[in-house]
Amino acid sequence: MGVSDDVVQPKQAEAVVQDTIIHLETTKDCLKPAKIGFVGSGNMAQALLNGFVNKGLVEASNVWASAPSDRNLAKLKPLGVHTTHDNGLVIQECDIVFLSVKPHLFIEVNAGLSPIEGDHKPLFISIMTGISIEKLEQMLSGIVQNPRVVRTMPNTPCMVSQGCCVYCLGSNATDADGIIVKTMLSSVALCEQVPESQLDGICGLAGSGPAYIYAVIEALADGGVKMGIPRQLAQSMAAQMVKGAATMVLESGKHPGQLKDEVCSPGGTTITAMHKLETGGLRGTLMSAVEASAQRSKELGKHN
Amino acid sequence: MGGMPLTFAGRMKLVPEACQGILTSRIVKAENIIASCPKTDQHLLDQMKVMGCETTNNNVEAAGSSDVVLVGVKPNIVPRVLHDIKSCVTPKSPLVTSVALGVTIDSMESILPDASRVIRTMPNIPALVNCGASVYSKGTYATADDVTLTKRLLLSVGTADEVPETFMDAITGLSGAGPAYVFVVLEALADGGVKMGLPRPLAQKLAAQTIMGAAKMAIETGKHPGQLKDEVCSPGGCTIQGVAALEAGGVRASFIDAVTQATLKSLQTAGK
Repeated sequence: MGVSDDVVQPKQAEAVVQDTIIHLETTKDCLKPAKIGFVGSGNMAQALLNGFVNKGLVEASNVWASAPSDRNLAKLKPLGVHTTHDNGLVIQECDIVFLSVKPHLFIEVNAGLSPIEGDHKPLFISIMTGISIEKLEQMLSGIVQNPRVVRTMPNTPCMVSQGCCVYCLGSNATDADGIIVKTMLSSVALCEQVPESQLDGICGLAGSGPAYIYAVIEALADGGVKMGIPRQLAQSMAAQMVKGAATMVLESGKHPGQLKDEVCSPGGTTITAMHKLETGGLRGTLMSAVEASAQRSKELGKHN
Repeated sequence: MGGMPLTFAGRMKLVPEACQGILTSRIVKAENIIASCPKTDQHLLDQMKVMGCETTNNNVEAAGSSDVVLVGVKPNIVPRVLHDIKSCVTPKSPLVTSVALGVTIDSMESILPDASRVIRTMPNIPALVNCGASVYSKGTYATADDVTLTKRLLLSVGTADEVPETFMDAITGLSGAGPAYVFVVLEALADGGVKMGLPRPLAQKLAAQTIMGAAKMAIETGKHPGQLKDEVCSPGGCTIQGVAALEAGGVRASFIDAVTQATLKSLQTAGK
């Protein structure tokens, strides 16, 4: 029986991993002296920066961050980064610039930028939802010719270094730029390159996903409380259980259905509960949730 | 296997076809099979005669000359048949097997003489096309050889697994009733095809072959069904759309409910 082309054979996978490791190691060396900038210093920017510094990818003294007020900058100053209210300064100084303002504010921010002086051509990494590569390149071409852009979509658990992040290369971004993005974001997230067409789906899954899981954790805890467990314990148990189950999926290499079978002994407690979940249409509901979020992402993207 | 008299006692649709399967597997020669039925079921005896088997209307005569008796009557008739033949049943011979739904080993052993060897079996209807899913449970005095023989006989019409008798109700709900569930699925898939413009005969043929093929894949690859499902569902493709519709319809729960309800009915019937 033949194996489909899609299945990566073990030796092949090993070679890919080795190549990637070599790439990432080289890139880490390249990043050390690089100047990293953040235009916008909110929660996500802070999370990314903390991740980069903690993993030793970046020296805080090589980092510039801008924001309209001191509110967020005050949180970054203790790390030893350069802070400013001048977005243009960050772009002029830095080799790699994270665009991390709130999406609806970017038009205004962009309008306030002056053309970059000299031959300086930074790599722009956008973490702004819903702004397409096309739009980014169009807007940034006002300050530099053929802007190098990588669009990314991180999710909120990047803040605890357990994020999911995808990235798409713009028309002037190179594969090497992609490796830089992957190296940096891998410090806080599972990070993969995707075609831009998949972003709506990823939004539905990993972007909105944490909210679905918060609801699941709360509901499980409610179930626990209903059965007599104190709230605090019920909640930590629910959360740790979700974390544990997810870890098993990521690390065991087994199909989730297989893992489910392994918990469900004949006539036991778990299979009885699974029946309830199926009756409640859990699977269909989750599929609909991902679809609905992805659809909405698409609508919002068109609107932008 | 040499001459080994085998009796089929009683009227049951399954029996001539099961007999065909047994003959094809060459476990027993036709001339070593005796089929016994009331005169009202002569047509069944005629079918057996055509295959080369001996026939009679007398259960006792049939059982008395056999090493293995297969009781294939309706469950409520089993006690009467066992009473009929008990005079010629000893611990030495014959092995008494039953395919009757819900008739327990205990009920058979209590009618037959002490230390009679009994094996309870449950085939399912696709045994008619040698694709049965059969199970068997050994009685108190059945020997290892009895088990081996029963397994071989059942294997001639499909798969055969030994199970504790406590599993019988759930197995009734799953593989006993299961063909009916699949017939419903088959018809509905065909309806879907017809709705989308296919002629009925083609839709039905494709539906049936699809079910058979999918089952074969599950059996032969040994992969988890979820894995097999994943392998058909390419990203953003047609199949995942169909799967989403099934999940929205809560199909999994429906199947769990079906097996549950059929099992409960089996338990209820047994008075448990």
